[in-house]
Amino acid sequence: MTTQAVFPIELKWESEKSSRIPFMAYTDEALHKKELQRFFYEKHWCYVGLEAEIPNPGDFKRTTIGERSVVMSRDEEGAIHVFENVCAHRGMQFCRERQGNRKEFVCPYHQWNYTLKGDLQGVPFRRGVKQDGKVNGGMPADFKTEEHGLTKLKVASRGGVVFASFDHEIESFEDFLGPDILHYFDRLFDGRKLTILGYNRQRIPGNWKLMQENIKDPYHPGLLHTWFVTFGLWRADNKSELKMDARGRHAAMISTRGNAGKAAQVTQVSSFKESMQLKDPRFLDIVPEPWWGGPTAVMMTLFPSLILQQQVNSVSTRHIQPVGHDAFDFVWTHFGFADDTEEMTRRRLRQANLFGPAGFVSADDGEVIEFSQEGFEQKPFHRTLAELGGREVENTDHMVTETLIRGMYRYWREVMEA
Amino acid sequence: MSTMTWVDAAAVDDVPSDDVVGIEVQGRDIALYGTEDGIHATDNICTHGHARLCDGFLEGHEIECPLHQGRFDVRTGKAMCAPLTEDLRSYPVKIEGGRVFLAFEG
Repeated sequence: MTTQAVFPIELKWESEKSSRIPFMAYTDEALHKKELQRFFYEKHWCYVGLEAEIPNPGDFKRTTIGERSVVMSRDEEGAIHVFENVCAHRGMQFCRERQGNRKEFVCPYHQWNYTLKGDLQGVPFRRGVKQDGKVNGGMPADFKTEEHGLTKLKVASRGGVVFASFDHEIESFEDFLGPDILHYFDRLFDGRKLTILGYNRQRIPGNWKLMQENIKDPYHPGLLHTWFVTFGLWRADNKSELKMDARGRHAAMISTRGNAGKAAQVTQVSSFKESMQLKDPRFLDIVPEPWWGGPTAVMMTLFPSLILQQQVNSVSTRHIQPVGHDAFDFVWTHFGFADDTEEMTRRRLRQANLFGPAGFVSADDGEVIEFSQEGFEQKPFHRTLAELGGREVENTDHMVTETLIRGMYRYWREVMEA
Repeated sequence: MSTMTWVDAAAVDDVPSDDVVGIEVQGRDIALYGTEDGIHATDNICTHGHARLCDGFLEGHEIECPLHQGRFDVRTGKAMCAPLTEDLRSYPVKIEGGRVFLAFEG
């Protein structure tokens, strides 16, 4: 018997394909930094928030792109800016509140003072301090405030959703998504004014990619999520489609629930428990909406930072914020539409109980991601096996496949091996 | 209707030319400016960061706050640039017998 090096030095794939993903892709800190560089800090639009979170001039929200803290702010003229939350002077993350309203941003350390656009406007004692008829100290005569603003990001806003990039040479947001994925993005964000219903936040002790994979994996919902199955919200033979952009990085899982969707039809899955009843059936008080245009659930993954959820009447953005190679913060923003009736708002909020860190459904995902990470860490020489439905990458008209995960890793290899 | 009272604030010789000095008059912090067209007076505390304007830099008719470089017109107290959002109170000035008088309300 030959012994296997448990801790490989280099990442190795078994073939040219992307169906067997080395555990090391989830366990190595150097690879993680390379991912941050290549996926979060260049050539990708990352999610920052919804315009409805900062409706008024001076409103701001602090958030994260990759592992870099940024601030989204609305200026006096109503324009949206995103800049890095690092003071030009001594590097402090000066903005500490998650959200608020300000006339300006002031670093608490030395009161360097920035506009709502991220420009430096005031430096204490820039011209020195007067004492007994002479002036002491001050910044050098060639110091120019214009040269020491905050790092500004390029901003793209569509349908009320704000994305930003440190990379000012980046392609347009529309080109980044590609036409098929843009279609489903526009289905959800069709220009209606959004309203914020609330947030969930959690830290999941697993690699950030596992969250993308979870929403690119239609294999697990009917098997892991007993709640879905028990109450008839998921069937592996629902009418469905899986679609990707041309490069395989973004995806949409589109499914249409059958009308009956309960009882005998669900018995193909062993975890269905006929005897279980909801004490409050309003969790499943589903009212179809015209904008759905057919599908009852569309789950989108926008690589690398965002998941867009429409599960019947519950809609949310889910923001992935890596924290080292083995954890990420997951921030859910539950929203509705300004033209919702009060009844519809209550319905969206009730259905949101399925999601978030303690959701009837989503609590399961946080757990299995943690357990996957534990498996990866103990034998990083090994690899996963994402071969349901074959080893190729292709759009499908069924759910019995891991094609979207293979698509994401085909793209991952393309970028990481370049 | 408010009435104006002239208050003896300082000697003309106490106000430097092309510069600013801070004084206290009846419990108020006042900045006196010596400019080419005479002496002007405003409150001494910046409306933005609460710094003392007498520690700032006078250029022509504008005082620049030492803290965040906001500028006020010393003749009117008008805020001239960001980060200022609020004007400064200014006071009418008259010179009599080598003394500077400021008009205070009430």
